[in-house]
Amino acid sequence: MSDVLKQSLDLSIFWEYRAILLQGLIFNVLVFVCSASVALSVGLGAALLRVNRFWPMRWIGTLHVEVFRNAPDYIMLVWVHFVLPLLIGLLIRRRVEFHPFVSAVTALGLVYSGYFAEAFRAGIQAIPQGNLDAGRAFGMSERLILWRITLPQVVRRMLPEALNLFISMFKATTIVSLIAVPDLMYNVSMVIQQEMRPLPLYTGAALTYFLIIFALSSGVRVFGERWRRKILA
Amino acid sequence: MRVFAPKPSVPISMSDVPSIRIAGIHKSFGPLEVLRGVSFDVHRGSVVSVIGASGSGKSTLLRCVNYLETPNAGEIYIDGEPLGTCVDARGQSRPRSLGEINTMRRELGVVFQQFNLWPHMTVLGNVIEAPIRVRKVSRKEAVEYGEECLRRVKLLDKADEYPARLSGGQQQRAAIARALAMRPKAMLFDEATSSLDPELTDEVLGVMRELAADGTTMIVVTHEMNFAHEVSDRVIFLHQGLIEEEGPPADLFGAPKSERLRQFLSKYRK
Repeated sequence: MSDVLKQSLDLSIFWEYRAILLQGLIFNVLVFVCSASVALSVGLGAALLRVNRFWPMRWIGTLHVEVFRNAPDYIMLVWVHFVLPLLIGLLIRRRVEFHPFVSAVTALGLVYSGYFAEAFRAGIQAIPQGNLDAGRAFGMSERLILWRITLPQVVRRMLPEALNLFISMFKATTIVSLIAVPDLMYNVSMVIQQEMRPLPLYTGAALTYFLIIFALSSGVRVFGERWRRKILA
Repeated sequence: MRVFAPKPSVPISMSDVPSIRIAGIHKSFGPLEVLRGVSFDVHRGSVVSVIGASGSGKSTLLRCVNYLETPNAGEIYIDGEPLGTCVDARGQSRPRSLGEINTMRRELGVVFQQFNLWPHMTVLGNVIEAPIRVRKVSRKEAVEYGEECLRRVKLLDKADEYPARLSGGQQQRAAIARALAMRPKAMLFDEATSSLDPELTDEVLGVMRELAADGTTMIVVTHEMNFAHEVSDRVIFLHQGLIEEEGPPADLFGAPKSERLRQFLSKYRK
């Protein structure tokens, strides 16, 4: 192996800059946690609209899912950060700017809310009608049935799909550097500009993402399956 | 469109008021008229069995009794109180809101053919859920009474199991305990043994016999003619959404008057 290649693959430079890179990674986690919360809550709302008995509600839910599920996250990120403030500014006749973090969370949250809405909808529709009838027969309100009977079962049923979505979502947080959110990739780029050694730094970043996602998803899969099997026959 | 039946005549005392009065119930699904005016009373502590061929409207009738299906016409009275309507402050009759119907529904315990236990809760969790969330009793009290109900159906040893780990008979007994835990005024059984193997059927029927012997008010939709014969105070034979024949079990099973009931019973005697 040539010395140049050896030097390129020497990951010690990644370790050298660990403090700033870790800071970036924390931003990735923050963006992930916040956008996942948005995606879950907006997705649940859209799913409830999708299964509503009134067709205008169903229509709104479907529109939401189709718009956001079919929007590439990259384009949505750029659109939310650069175009949406302009539109709002035109409407209220004032200059509007979004903080990059807010744009990142909004864009990723909205895109993934489309996917989560479909996962929730499938889970809700898979609940046997008899389960709901039993709740109604005991005088439970529709809200109580949703929180105590429907959602706990939906969460268990959608767990494998939700896990895949969370993995995709965590990976998607790497694009937030495009709008200057100081995440791991952004900080890696900064270090590369200074050190001019992209190979070990990008490889280090790739390995970091791989290890985090692999460890977390394996853990959740094992724990989640055990939890699901106990309950779903 | 809902047509409300006239109120029954004012009772003289509470003891004369039937626990459940079913008054002129009509129910259609689109063009299909499933119930065409069914009326009968269920008195406190009595057992009324509803028999009839598949499609005669038995299960729909039971679902109308607690408004899981809203009748198109007619009314259900629980201890003389109409379930679907009430009188407002101006003295005018109006349909009850869903919340008000929910309050009335608590008085009726329902046991379904498919058990309908909540799979994400343990057996005890299923039993105490509605008492805690709907009746608002304390968890301690709900657990104590829930365990008593499970003991009654001989399932206390399975309190911490999830429904998926129980046999069909055990699941149905758990469902009975869940209904009993709400301290209902009456129990409704919708073909409670129809999806069980014969040996599991017996264990569920055994529990139902004990409930009847304890004086529980019950409406039992069933295909178990022996049970209907031995346990019921009255039997109702439904045919195409109407009561074809009704009376004490000895009369209905011993000397059926209508040809249709004779034909129906002959299938079970084969």
